[in-house]
Amino acid sequence: MTYPSVFPTGTTVYNPEKCWSGYTIYQARELGALLVDMNGKEVKLWKGLHGFPNKLLPGGYVMGHTGERNNAYGMQDQIDLVQVDWDGNIVWKFNQYEFIEDPGEEPQWMARQHHDYQREGNPVGYYTPGMEPEVDGGNTLILGHKNVRNTDISDKNLLDDVIIEVDWEGNILWEWACNEHFHELGFDETAKNILARDPNMRQAGEGMGDWMHINSMSKLGPNKWYDAGDERFHPENIIWDARETNINAIIDKKTGKIVWKLGPRYDTSEELKNLGWIIGQHHTHMVPRGLPGEGNILTFDNGGWAGYGSPNPGSPTGRMNAVRDYSRVLEIDPTTFKIVWQYTPVEAGLVHPVDSNRFYSPFISGAQRLPNGNTLITEGSGGRIIEVTSDYEVVWEYISPYWGKFLNMNMVYRAYRVPYDWVPQLEKPGEIPIEKTDVTTFRMPGAAPSGCEDETEVPGVVPYQGDNALCVAAEEELDEE
Amino acid sequence: MSNTLYTATGCTRCKIVKNFMEERDIPYVEKDMKAEGKEEFQQFYKANRKYIYRGENGIEFPVFTDGDVIYQGIGPAVAYLLSRGKLDKFFSVGTLHKEWVDGIHVFRGNPEYAGEFIEVLRYLKNNNLKLQVDTKGKNSHILQQILDEGLGDAVIMDVLGPGELYSEILGEDIDINEVEKSIKTAANFPEFYFQTTVVPVVRQDGDTPEISYLAPEEVAEAAKLIEAVTGSKKNPYLIKLFKTKEAKDKRLKAVEPLSAAELLPYRSKARTYQVFTEVEKV
Repeated sequence: MTYPSVFPTGTTVYNPEKCWSGYTIYQARELGALLVDMNGKEVKLWKGLHGFPNKLLPGGYVMGHTGERNNAYGMQDQIDLVQVDWDGNIVWKFNQYEFIEDPGEEPQWMARQHHDYQREGNPVGYYTPGMEPEVDGGNTLILGHKNVRNTDISDKNLLDDVIIEVDWEGNILWEWACNEHFHELGFDETAKNILARDPNMRQAGEGMGDWMHINSMSKLGPNKWYDAGDERFHPENIIWDARETNINAIIDKKTGKIVWKLGPRYDTSEELKNLGWIIGQHHTHMVPRGLPGEGNILTFDNGGWAGYGSPNPGSPTGRMNAVRDYSRVLEIDPTTFKIVWQYTPVEAGLVHPVDSNRFYSPFISGAQRLPNGNTLITEGSGGRIIEVTSDYEVVWEYISPYWGKFLNMNMVYRAYRVPYDWVPQLEKPGEIPIEKTDVTTFRMPGAAPSGCEDETEVPGVVPYQGDNALCVAAEEELDEE
Repeated sequence: MSNTLYTATGCTRCKIVKNFMEERDIPYVEKDMKAEGKEEFQQFYKANRKYIYRGENGIEFPVFTDGDVIYQGIGPAVAYLLSRGKLDKFFSVGTLHKEWVDGIHVFRGNPEYAGEFIEVLRYLKNNNLKLQVDTKGKNSHILQQILDEGLGDAVIMDVLGPGELYSEILGEDIDINEVEKSIKTAANFPEFYFQTTVVPVVRQDGDTPEISYLAPEEVAEAAKLIEAVTGSKKNPYLIKLFKTKEAKDKRLKAVEPLSAAELLPYRSKARTYQVFTEVEKV
């Protein structure tokens, strides 16, 4: 990734004619839950409110957390999940999943939430016509952590992923634990072997294996597949993805069993080979009914490093044995595994693969389908949020200007676009177009303007060619292999 | 009638029972079911299978018979050899393995025979076994003696429900002070946990008895009782599902079983008083 050291932040591109304009909510690094308009104006900050992620609810409510467990003892455990009103009052809170007594810390209840949650009324946590999340009641699905021992997987302390459903009063009504479904996940013996030896051990709490690392969890909601009789896609069923294993799965809400799965291997059928190896993915969900592409699976296929399997030069032990240095946003038909739409370095206009790492976030990130067919993509590691049309035009681009003091990154975990009328406290803002700047002539103050003062013709030189003689194969040449 | 001890090759518990008999000059014939006694045991098992417990890991040995009675497992066998039936209710065949022995029910036996009961425990303990006892609150003084003599390594205490329903669920009158004493004693064992099974209760409301499960609030009251007696919200506490087929009252056999998910509201309520409350995994 060749980043310049100087580049603009905030909104850098905005075409109001082609955008589905609204507010965008995201967790500004070490700052709080930040709401910006299309021109990047920061219209609201819930200062210090953590967000893993933040989500906005109709009426100007925001969801987030009052804090995170001490990293020495917990891996990304959020203390609670709260709903906060426009004025910063906590109007709903859940924390009673586990009573935690960490050394030197005040004993307390914790939600141990991480990565995702869904409020009843909407399956995926983003704007969907006719499916607004409830703000004064309803159940909430929460993705959380629990430490377990399961010697079928490994003899080590495992950080398991759990999903719970809590009511408005905070009662836990339903619970699902991933480790109890280990034998449904489809690991081959090679993968089981490395999992047993190293289930992605992390330092927190004197060592725990973050063996799955589920980072997304949502309901399917009503969909055409279930309407056609496919029980796997019952609207109450839950879809999740696990970045460390490259698995995407749907679980039956009633039985807890896995009824649909993509991964961990992507070489066991022609369909999967054509799809390509999904690696370290985030935000796998079903596009909700009422949005273009409804019923398809949308995922941010990060690339990076993930998986358990055979050792190779990039993975001497077999852990994180799949690697790729660019990302893909994939929209997949869940019944055929065919790619319906994608945004990859090729669609981004980059020379593939030699320049592909310009569209790359090896962790975090997400994708939201918008009502006009555009897709809001969080390319998280670089703090870049873009809105792209179905024919791949970037019609909005925003770079987070917030770098952390503790972590020197402007990363954005996952951003969401909401309609203006979800924030009745504000007048609809102006929408000022921002043309894409021609970087060939863009100069900093004091820098020389473009163009050369003295050009000399050299007799006998021949014209430049295309890119067929790069040091490595690219584009068409690559396709011919 | 001659005594027969069915054993298995390498079974330490069988050797302990053999030693017990030899120390007391009790004559017996040993039949090793993995050696010369295999065929004989199979015939014995076929003729008596309803008296012999067969668990997930097979049959627990030793199995003792004098021709009239059959006692399976180290606890029941030693108890019978010592007391000739007086201790029957204190022991049953256990499910734990290696050095651990369970199936020791403090609450169930006749307290008049507490001396013999303790003697059996001493014998087992002197043979380097670890003892897990269980109780529902009765015979608190016996539980205290087990603790005082260091005979018990672990205790599981069923706190059956809130005080006002305790006798109803236990099926006999019990002073709640007795239950409280047991709770207090149990919490001082090297290992312990409390548990409550969400049972259906016959409730006399008017002329017609009605049957309904313990409510989450009632289980929370049990958790509160534990907190009140131990002074701690941090006791290990498990909420369990009622198994209708194991009900002795015919009226309760017909009750629709709860699902595991239906235990979760109980956990939420109980955690107010016992923060480490968990629910049974099915």
